[in-house]
Amino acid sequence: MTQTLTAAPEKPAPVPASTGRAVRHGRAVPFFVVPFGILFVLFYLLPIGYAIVQSLYTVERTGTFGPAREVFGGLTQYERVFQDGAFWTSIGRVLVFGVVQVPVMLGLALLLALLLDSGLVKGRRFFRLAFFVPYAVPGVIAAIMWGFLYSPNLSPLKPVTSAIDFLSADLVLWAMANVVTWVYVGYNMLIIYSALLAIPAEVYEAARLDGAGPWRIAWSIKIPLVMPAIVLTTVFSIIGTLQLLAEPQVFRSFSSAVSSTYTPNLTVYSTSSIPNFNLAAAFSVVLALTTFVLSFVFLRITQRRGDA
Amino acid sequence: MRKSLAAALISVLALSACGSGDDSSSDGASAASCAPSSGPVSLTYTTWIPGIENVVKAWNDKNPNIQVKVQTGPNGNGGTYQNFFNQLKAGNTPDLGHIEYDALPSFRVQDGLFDVASCDIVAKAKDQFIPWTWNQVSFGEEKTAWGIPQDSGPMALFYRADLFEKNGIAIPKTWEEYAAAAVKVKAAGGYITNFSQSDINQFAGFAWQAGGRWFANDGQQWTVNLTDDNTKKVADYWQDLISKKLVSTVPPWTTEWDNAYNSSSAWTWVSAVWGANSIMSGAPKTAGKWRVAPMPQWSAGENVAGNWGGSATAIFKNSKHPYEAAQFALWLNTSEEALALLNKEAQLYPATTAGTKYSYLANPVEFYGDQKIYELFAEAATQVTPDFTWGPTMTSTYTSASDGFKAAVSGQGTLNDALTKAQTSTIDTLKSQAIPVKE
Repeated sequence: MTQTLTAAPEKPAPVPASTGRAVRHGRAVPFFVVPFGILFVLFYLLPIGYAIVQSLYTVERTGTFGPAREVFGGLTQYERVFQDGAFWTSIGRVLVFGVVQVPVMLGLALLLALLLDSGLVKGRRFFRLAFFVPYAVPGVIAAIMWGFLYSPNLSPLKPVTSAIDFLSADLVLWAMANVVTWVYVGYNMLIIYSALLAIPAEVYEAARLDGAGPWRIAWSIKIPLVMPAIVLTTVFSIIGTLQLLAEPQVFRSFSSAVSSTYTPNLTVYSTSSIPNFNLAAAFSVVLALTTFVLSFVFLRITQRRGDA
Repeated sequence: MRKSLAAALISVLALSACGSGDDSSSDGASAASCAPSSGPVSLTYTTWIPGIENVVKAWNDKNPNIQVKVQTGPNGNGGTYQNFFNQLKAGNTPDLGHIEYDALPSFRVQDGLFDVASCDIVAKAKDQFIPWTWNQVSFGEEKTAWGIPQDSGPMALFYRADLFEKNGIAIPKTWEEYAAAAVKVKAAGGYITNFSQSDINQFAGFAWQAGGRWFANDGQQWTVNLTDDNTKKVADYWQDLISKKLVSTVPPWTTEWDNAYNSSSAWTWVSAVWGANSIMSGAPKTAGKWRVAPMPQWSAGENVAGNWGGSATAIFKNSKHPYEAAQFALWLNTSEEALALLNKEAQLYPATTAGTKYSYLANPVEFYGDQKIYELFAEAATQVTPDFTWGPTMTSTYTSASDGFKAAVSGQGTLNDALTKAQTSTIDTLKSQAIPVKE
């Protein structure tokens, strides 16, 4: 975890040294890169490429039961995607979800990480594990468990759930936000916490010598120094939000308010079960592009702020 | 970087080339042949019938050269159909699959099924089946069949005899009486039933009984008619019960739904014969308290039943051993041994004429207070009007209608709004699949 973290956001790597080494270990490079490269091509580039190809095809047939012929249709499927109101509503829905849920979740993660790092709590190891445990529960299981907790008739908290219907059209989105937060807060906390551990002790000493208290250290030293980790977790969360699938899919059987087009990925899923693979592929490509654009825009904004 | 991109592109092109290659070959392979294989054969069969392992074991014990491996999954619209569609795309379907009548056209239109009528053993067996069930697999055509009929789902009224008696409520014979009883049941602290908001098949059964006909196919194009007057009448009826909160609306086939029946909150269920199994497994606490009566009628004195479900055993086009698969499917769905087992394990009601007369169907059923429930369903089976046609993209029609039904039970829009939307979206789906449809 620390490795990915320090590798990704820290820019000023010593460039000349690495090129020098690359020449000397010329043979080692392919040895280390090829296994990754093969898997990357097989399970990443190929499926994406295949989806793009699929999305450019359309189906033709003659008669009511004539067999389908796939013919090149250019951007026909994309035309359908852009005319599909439900799909864009669902993108709007997950954006609203993200704007609220991501800051809440990362705020909590940051708070927990700072608490663990502050030395105020005893049993640090226990809490670190305890916060992380929900992440070890598979997303579908977590959703089923929360589904039962929310259920008006079966919940162990029946007095609460029969008074407030968490599965109603007004609340179900936030009921799901709660599940997602529950699952991922510990994971994000761990990333931020490892970034905190990587801060050299001298920095704190210097701050203390300058008369900074624990609050001041947290605010002016810790948070700015773990900013790259927070940016990273935010990007992950944006991606995760746009690709919400397990929670709404499970909640469909608990709640009347979750339709087959509730989130973009559910639309992809139900389109592919028609089955209309070409249109589903076009939905996926558009969703991937939207995710890419949003992540990129967010990174640009935060980087510009960092430069200033 | 550039190199890797080129490599990716080449492989993508290669892949798409394979894809189109496959398609052209499958176009040509429409001339089906159904010849016996030589040597031992092993077949795969995917279904969701409870207890099917015991039925298949009976076959395997007697047929060492044709061994069937059974895989079970969720019910069709609950996931198995999606798996089938994906397997069709990937070319690795099982040999045999469980497909309900309403989904058969969808698989035929995807060119996924083997025409079993090309097997002489099936063609010879045709007359053993109840004509309307055969019609469901042949789509009314002379020399084709896209599966072997397995069971049918004539509908009747399951009701809690104890609760009706205790509260002095008469068993409703018409839908009008049913609505009146709903008011009394509500006053007694229950719901007359749970409206199936997301499994549209039940509603389809209601519409079928009322004379609604959703699809028609004249060979040139499809006609979609989810909003004919008969269907509208049914939708208005249930919308009224929903609006007055006389029915509960928990999602079907969930723990919550079982709980509604097990805890005596729901008092009746208008369901198919196989629903007998759903109550037995979902509401064990209510054993002995249920009885079955004929389905409520739209006009007093009529005797019309709806049908919910009913399945075929289909052979997928990719099967290498269609002849042996057909042998197994025929045994499974016509032999007294298999039909008796299917009835014992899953309360299936046979699709063969002889099957409906087998002695085990005259047995009293303990869970239903020793009522001979199959005699009643046998009568209902004769009251199902045979000419109901299913559309070629039912998954999409059901999904769309279910989105609307779910909204309606949450107070947004009505069932009729939902059907209107499903009508538009079904036509859109057909067009996007290039299936000719009348607008």
